[in-house]
Amino acid sequence: MPLNKVIMLADCQSFYASVEKADHPEYRDLPLVVAGDPERRSGIILAACPLAKSFGVTTAERLGDSLAKCPNLVIIRPRMQLYIDISMRITNIYKSYTDLVEPYSIDEQFLDVTGSLHLYGSPEELAHHIQTRIQAELGIYTRFGIAENKMLAKMACDNYAKKNGSGIYILRKDRLEETLWTLPVAKMFMVGSRMTRHFNAMGLETIGKVAATPLEKLKLMMRRKFGKNSDINAELYSRIANGIDDSPVAPGTHEIAPKVIGHMMTLPRDYQRLEEIKVVLLELTELVCQRCRGKGYMGHVVSVGLMGANYDQPTGFSRQMKMDDPSNVTNTVYHAAVQLLLRHWDGYPVRKVGVSLSQFSEDGEYQLSLFDTKREKTMALEKATDALKQKYGDAIILRAASVTLAGQAQHRSEKIGGHYK
Amino acid sequence: MRKKLEGNGIWESSRMMLPEHKVAINEQEQASRQRQRIELDEQEWENISRFVMESLQQRHPIAIRLFHPLEELSVIGVVDRVDQLKGRFMVDGEWFSIRDIEGASIEEG
Repeated sequence: MPLNKVIMLADCQSFYASVEKADHPEYRDLPLVVAGDPERRSGIILAACPLAKSFGVTTAERLGDSLAKCPNLVIIRPRMQLYIDISMRITNIYKSYTDLVEPYSIDEQFLDVTGSLHLYGSPEELAHHIQTRIQAELGIYTRFGIAENKMLAKMACDNYAKKNGSGIYILRKDRLEETLWTLPVAKMFMVGSRMTRHFNAMGLETIGKVAATPLEKLKLMMRRKFGKNSDINAELYSRIANGIDDSPVAPGTHEIAPKVIGHMMTLPRDYQRLEEIKVVLLELTELVCQRCRGKGYMGHVVSVGLMGANYDQPTGFSRQMKMDDPSNVTNTVYHAAVQLLLRHWDGYPVRKVGVSLSQFSEDGEYQLSLFDTKREKTMALEKATDALKQKYGDAIILRAASVTLAGQAQHRSEKIGGHYK
Repeated sequence: MRKKLEGNGIWESSRMMLPEHKVAINEQEQASRQRQRIELDEQEWENISRFVMESLQQRHPIAIRLFHPLEELSVIGVVDRVDQLKGRFMVDGEWFSIRDIEGASIEEG
């Protein structure tokens, strides 16, 4: 039976590690990992090449553990900007086959090739063609899950294409009984270890069993565990298990205006003193406001999140408050954030801090305030510092608080996604 | 929550995209939409000027395609005046630059 639509989920094997291997041919036959900064807490494995994995090295483990398994490991510091650039080059290669390309993460992208298939033959032939081309041009091995919708394509890639010899797998919807449905529920998209435990406790050990449970019954089962608000999740899992997904491959999906702009960071050590926490809070607020100003938004609601340092006894909070007026002025937003911090912090050491703004309005027009007479001046000042940062990088001008021991702005400006540029 | 079940919701709520990556994608997308000026050969210019003159003298409407960096733009109407000196022409009381012209055709009806 021919597929109605042909959707591919193309995934790059050990992406960061593969990019580094392609860039360092001298390490071709050596086990290689990309790891966060060893001196800071983020010293964990971000990506390991297949050779390193054969020694038992896994992603997300500590660098020290990997070195114990594989002493001659080549360790590379991440270069995030390079990975973004390569990812975009891969997008452009995909775009030479179809204009319907949707990046899902830095190393996974959806392709709708329905309309271009007649030029290349079968889906397998096209996938093989693209795979060969990316290997030749960039030295990266890609795997293709192929199906009639994005959901099945994703599960075809994760469960089959990543594991077979060709790196290409077609998951047919009329053959789920012999394929997807036989797999344990842990292999289902969106099901992590916690949800696996719950499904097992419900007696749904395979994806097939979730698929076969009538929606109303699944809703009841989940309500018993998670309360009334689990209906939507029940419907979601039912659809995933049955391979139902009518979402389009949407190339413009990243242009949609964000609803929240936020920044969060894990601290290099635990912060105990209020003054220290306030410094990072200010730095994060500055980043958030800077991004809002860049987009021309003012936010009305400020949220602050703190996570405690003790993993065994999780503490912390995530609270929000509405400011009197929408704003993107750092000091105004910071003032609200500090209020939240003072009200909700329990005094325990802190490992993670996050600030975000939401409920946006355009910053072209704003309510004049009787009391804040310095507003115009502050806005002009921030416009000038933003322009400086845009041109010379975020570290070109800093608040004095950022050069204290607690300050992280300087470190952060050297990074993308928490890892070195 | 409901959004997860609609449109592209499931993928938009579950994806992991670096903000820097998103910005780069959107910038490239925008750049790819930028249009380039086209160059017309003499024969085409002759055709266009004939249409414009006909419209000017016989007062019948024509469609003139104009360059715009982001979208397809055409002006439809009767050419009222042509100002060679300043390189502009007028349709319905509004001036347009002659340099922007990319093509012209007779408007039927």
